[in-house]
Amino acid sequence: MKLPSGLVKCLERQGVEEKGIIFAAMGDLDEEFRFADTVVALTNKKLIIAKYPYREKKEIHLGGYNSWSLEEKETGEPAVLLYDLERVEQLEVLRQVSTGVLMGKIDGTERYLCQFSNTKMEAFMRLNRLLEKIKKKEEITGEDLDVKRGKECCPKCGMIYPDQERKVCPKCMDKKSILLRVVGYFKPYKLKLFVMVCCYIATAGLNLVWPYLSGTVLYDKVLAGNEEFLAMLHLPAGRFAVALAALVVVMVLTKILMQAVGILQGVLTAQIASEVIAKLKSQVFESMGRLSISFFTKRQTGGLMTRVSDDADEVSSFFIDGIPYFFINVGTILATCTIMFLLNPLLALGSVVLMPILFFISYRMLPRLWHYFGKRHRANRKLNGQMNENFTGARVVKAFGQEEQEMTRFTRNNTRVRDAELDVARFDCQFSTLYYLVEDLLTFLVWAVGSALIICGTNMELGLLITFSGYVGQLKWPLEFMSRIFRWYTNAMNSAQRMFEIIDAVPEVKEVPEPVRPERLKGDIELKHVTFGYEPNKPILKDVSFRVKAGEVLGIVGRSGAGKSTLVNLISRLYDTNEGEVLVDGVNVRQYGFRELRKNVAMVSQETYIFAGTVAENIAYARPDASREEIVRAAIQASAHDFICKMPQGYDTILGPANRALSGGEKQRISIARAILADPKILILDEATSAVDTETELAIQKSLEQLEKGRTVLSIAHRLSTLRNATHLIVLDDGRVTEAGTHAELMEKKGTFYKLSQLQTKALAMRGVE
Amino acid sequence: MEDNREQEMPDLLDLQEFDEEALKKESEEVLQMRFLTGENALFSRTEGGFLALKTGDREYERVGVYLTFPLTQPEEFISIREADEKAKEIGIIRDLKDLKKEEQEMIREQVRLRYFMPVIRKVLDVKDEYGYAYWHVVTDYGNCRFTTHMGGDAVISLSDVRYQITDIDGNRYEIPDLYALSVLERKKLDLFI
Repeated sequence: MKLPSGLVKCLERQGVEEKGIIFAAMGDLDEEFRFADTVVALTNKKLIIAKYPYREKKEIHLGGYNSWSLEEKETGEPAVLLYDLERVEQLEVLRQVSTGVLMGKIDGTERYLCQFSNTKMEAFMRLNRLLEKIKKKEEITGEDLDVKRGKECCPKCGMIYPDQERKVCPKCMDKKSILLRVVGYFKPYKLKLFVMVCCYIATAGLNLVWPYLSGTVLYDKVLAGNEEFLAMLHLPAGRFAVALAALVVVMVLTKILMQAVGILQGVLTAQIASEVIAKLKSQVFESMGRLSISFFTKRQTGGLMTRVSDDADEVSSFFIDGIPYFFINVGTILATCTIMFLLNPLLALGSVVLMPILFFISYRMLPRLWHYFGKRHRANRKLNGQMNENFTGARVVKAFGQEEQEMTRFTRNNTRVRDAELDVARFDCQFSTLYYLVEDLLTFLVWAVGSALIICGTNMELGLLITFSGYVGQLKWPLEFMSRIFRWYTNAMNSAQRMFEIIDAVPEVKEVPEPVRPERLKGDIELKHVTFGYEPNKPILKDVSFRVKAGEVLGIVGRSGAGKSTLVNLISRLYDTNEGEVLVDGVNVRQYGFRELRKNVAMVSQETYIFAGTVAENIAYARPDASREEIVRAAIQASAHDFICKMPQGYDTILGPANRALSGGEKQRISIARAILADPKILILDEATSAVDTETELAIQKSLEQLEKGRTVLSIAHRLSTLRNATHLIVLDDGRVTEAGTHAELMEKKGTFYKLSQLQTKALAMRGVE
Repeated sequence: MEDNREQEMPDLLDLQEFDEEALKKESEEVLQMRFLTGENALFSRTEGGFLALKTGDREYERVGVYLTFPLTQPEEFISIREADEKAKEIGIIRDLKDLKKEEQEMIREQVRLRYFMPVIRKVLDVKDEYGYAYWHVVTDYGNCRFTTHMGGDAVISLSDVRYQITDIDGNRYEIPDLYALSVLERKKLDLFI
């Protein structure tokens, strides 16, 4: 970071040199909650706080705009406070809802030093850590000073890169490249595409011929008895009946040809589109599988599903229907107009004079119509959401007798849908009325001008007029198409962007280029100063350290929200630590290949998940090649065998959303069997028996004891009885390890664990009395 | 002072022996609603710029102020909590008017500190690209640019007209009345609302 030169001068006057400054952070709020700058800096000896006077800023940059620089001219002199580090006992960031306050304990008094928005949080957290390091006289590394981690901006426009790994700025990126990239998907179908384009051209050509045949040729040549025409066809004079027959045959053939081309084109479209869609979908799905678990928790599942299905359709349909039709329609419009002007310039002028108005109407009004459609869609979604909520929560609604209130809520939502529906209908009517009115006017105009020309006895004939009206009718559809194409293009590009975003997304948790791939792990686990949070600046685990030797059982105790489940997620590397490291057999888990690591770590968690498939398939999920004997043995060990046997189809019973529903305890036992069959070196039990009754728990406990032999087990439980056989235990409180030791040691200590265990014994005893 | 407190009200975790009475007392305390009024509580500003509280026979050097209904009723049911990470509740102010004028001001100051949220007065531009939305707005603190995620919880509706926006760093912004914005501005927000 570069300090403003005014500040540097100011500091020099007070005897602080610029090169002595180790780190500086900038707060952006003052005591009166205005955006004003405060620089907080550290040297080896001093804490510097430089407050700039408030001044109105041209622009405030928050979320995502990370860089800070002061415009030297306008800043004025800062008020500088210097504190010797001996006087500063401690710095602390007090988190507010969306800001932070830097508090310093100076000379024994807690002092408000400055306030800043969440954007600056990271820098101030670092400032704190640095102060601790300076106080402990530890070495400061480059990593300690790097605040920009994970927040780099485009040098051109200053926006953050959506994907920090790719360093591609969407704003400055070439839009054409997306288009070209999508075109790449159609490359394998070159031949089919060529045929398709031929079909389009043929259709357009035939469309031009048809009005000419049915108008000019039929009326002006054949029916009007034009001898020259017969001569041209090499027919004897006067044989108009033959000419008529020939014309009919030609017209029928033209129609048949048009239909045939249409069919061919439809078949090809269906073939190419469905193949490209399938390819896009599987690519998106595949990369979703690659992505880290955080990707899924950050986004709504519904949104993801739309991406997989709708976006692919949108893109493909635009490329199949949109782009070719665009060229065809441009061609049609140009060719039609040219022909019309060649045939009769005056009438042609009459035909096209209103066309721009038509185009303008649909260009201006259609977006509003779509807006109303969107509104209707959202209202409907809300109504459906409420119905869903009510049907699933019917028990609660009835239990509290709130049917009437729900009815009122329904009525309100329903009214909204109705209003939205009315809006759509009203605007749709307005739009169509206006549109068709102009369209009819256009037709009338052609007839009026045409008729006037005929009456006035110019070289105008009836057939030509009919041909013209045919051409005018044909122009309507391309015009409407052209007014839609812009929006279509944007939507398709957005969809393509969204899909490519997933296809190109770099998983947050990545395998290292050359991972360690041991055959079998021993199962030693060690956590060293691990800090982790799902969101930046909100650590769930704080400086957690412990060690479990291979074959030991570690019990983890703590109230809900203490970070127990988060802790175990780090071991199988569903997430990476923010600071510190997780070691398995003395090697950082980041060094292992995913396959090797996850094969050796199995987890039975409180959320059980049953896939669609048979019971046997569900148990053998981690090892699909397991034999029947192994599956049954695993089920017996998990106390699941009995209830499975009682089901009519036994192990062949198909489970899944639409089929037999299992109770919570049954699901849990199946997932335990799954873990037993996986035969991992490290077993994580996250409230594995929370949903089963006490008796079954005892049975499972026994089988778990069997299972625990020769494995390292991390077991999380609220019921301390579950942790009887733990080699040692840790107590987590608010993300920190507050107590650690064997059962006896903890009881001796008379701390949280002792208290909890006393409470539970008492509670059990009380229940026994009743 | 710290030591003082521990003598008066021993923390259970540090008890030498398991004391059932103390446990009962604690759980009863947890279940009770304690109201702080002008009579039983005395708030004061500390030298360092924070808020101190004296209630009954206990003194707190620094306390936290939490609104229980920050959106619908910011002046009632204000929870006063201890300053450490656990933030145990000391008591609730039922109505800010129960306190003296200058104490009310002190509390309001703390509320502003904790619930700082610029109000969006004008939407100049919202651009969505690659899953992020880039906002350019005028807030009551001036012209401001920030970035949010698209979809998810970036924009949540607090009522029919009231919206709250959270950017990627966790800064929050408020639109108190959507219909106070112009049609054109509302159109820019169509993506979210």
